[in-house]
Amino acid sequence: MTLPPLSLAQTAHAVARGERRATDVIEACIARIEATDARVNAFTGTRFDAARAQAQRVDAQRARGEPLGPLAGVPFAVKNLFDIAGEVTLAGSKVNRSHPPAATDAVLVQRLQAAGAVLVGSLNMDEYAYGFTTENTHYGPTRNPHNLRCVAGGSSGGSGAAVAAGQVPLTLGSDTNGSIRVPSSFCGIWGLKPTFGRLSRRGSFPFVHSIDHLGPLADDLPGLALAYDALQGPDPLDPGCLATGMAPVAQALDLGVKDLRIGVLGGYFTEHATAPAQQAVSLAADALGAHTGVHHGVQWPDAAQARAAAFIVTASEGGSLHLPALREHAADYEPLSVDRLISGALQPATWYARAQRFRRVYRDKVNDLFRHWDVLIAPATPLAAPEIGTEWIDIHGQRFPCRPSIGLLTQPISFSGCPVVAAPLWPTGTGGLPLGVQIIAAPWREDLAFRAAQVLAQSGVAHVKEVTL
Amino acid sequence: MTHDETLAYVQAAAVAVRLPLDAAQAARVALHLQRTAAMAALLDAFELAVHDEPAELFRPAPFEPPRGPTP
Repeated sequence: MTLPPLSLAQTAHAVARGERRATDVIEACIARIEATDARVNAFTGTRFDAARAQAQRVDAQRARGEPLGPLAGVPFAVKNLFDIAGEVTLAGSKVNRSHPPAATDAVLVQRLQAAGAVLVGSLNMDEYAYGFTTENTHYGPTRNPHNLRCVAGGSSGGSGAAVAAGQVPLTLGSDTNGSIRVPSSFCGIWGLKPTFGRLSRRGSFPFVHSIDHLGPLADDLPGLALAYDALQGPDPLDPGCLATGMAPVAQALDLGVKDLRIGVLGGYFTEHATAPAQQAVSLAADALGAHTGVHHGVQWPDAAQARAAAFIVTASEGGSLHLPALREHAADYEPLSVDRLISGALQPATWYARAQRFRRVYRDKVNDLFRHWDVLIAPATPLAAPEIGTEWIDIHGQRFPCRPSIGLLTQPISFSGCPVVAAPLWPTGTGGLPLGVQIIAAPWREDLAFRAAQVLAQSGVAHVKEVTL
Repeated sequence: MTHDETLAYVQAAAVAVRLPLDAAQAARVALHLQRTAAMAALLDAFELAVHDEPAELFRPAPFEPPRGPTP
């Protein structure tokens, strides 16, 4: 079995030029899902009839000579915390099954559909997005397409695995502490965690209001840029959407990095990275260094404290959000995370208040750092995907609990709100598994991260690999 | 906090927020809270001035369209 022959951007261009019918694209996508998902378990729901009907509308539009959207005919699927009209938004839970169906699609689903993309289904995740492995007890673990014994990452594990398995070229996920970047790293695909407040979150099930981000995952970088541009736009009805305008990146992809100041994060980001993770960063630095001087050992401010503060804010807000349901239905929650959720609900308020006061000081220090740098790079995960059920991991001889520690390198970055493109790299020493690199820019400067990512893509250092399933 | 102290805190706080917990679950929750306490200690050691306000509605920076590399 091979991947669909065209990537996201290639599909969009082929449909736009009439070289491929949208209906053919969707049929190939459905066939791939049906042939592979029993092994991968990325999907929790499908809507193939609706997808076929929408693809027919795209083909009819083209036949009539009407203009098509930039993503016309591109199949996509969404983490099951996004509202889909007429369906119950599960957010990976059993508890939500009793909720009424969503009345409308989430804003980002609407925007992709307005751009012509075709929704084919919803995807597995850690319950309520509280996890990094998508070992979901209710719906089963999502398996890594590159090695079915390994986790796909989380909490947007279905979103990562579906792209890596060639089931769909585009998915949506959410990222509070790393939940787009971790599955991108483990599954070897491209992912974007935009600036905090860039994209509307309206119509998605929340986890941590003060840190939640939404974003796309894709099988090629130009396609990721196309999707991101289609997702942008202010949303006055979402208090969490801070952007008042759009900043498209697709046209800026090929500007190169010669005028950019690029650094590699050291200290905390080296201490918590295994040898393959450090090698992935070196490969990226070498590729970027061919175009511009890359400086090593840049110190990100207070990374350990930021990770601690992110952990505390997450536990407290997440626990508080679920406290009413926990009083009645704790036994129906995910066994792997319910005790953490309860612990968060019981945390002393002073821990939370101090974490939020720290965050303001921290933000200013991070913004100061970006006066000296345009792009900073670091590993996305401390290691490549561990096997399903792994309880402990080893980093430089130190033992860490596996599930929470997978986010050691992503949490300090998302807590700052900075945008990150996760690039898929393939270091040695991972048994053939990928391991991603974070390309980090100052708030609202996604364009710079995309430009650096494009250099990695064009050099061949970062790329998506076909899988055999 | 020792484990016993943490467990006592968990049991008292659970009563305060009307969350029923059996003994086994309270013990597991206490283990998690002890890990978080270690992180809270890191932040406790971080120097904050009295005028350092919390990030209430967090904004990473004022929104501004890009104009080229960061000056």
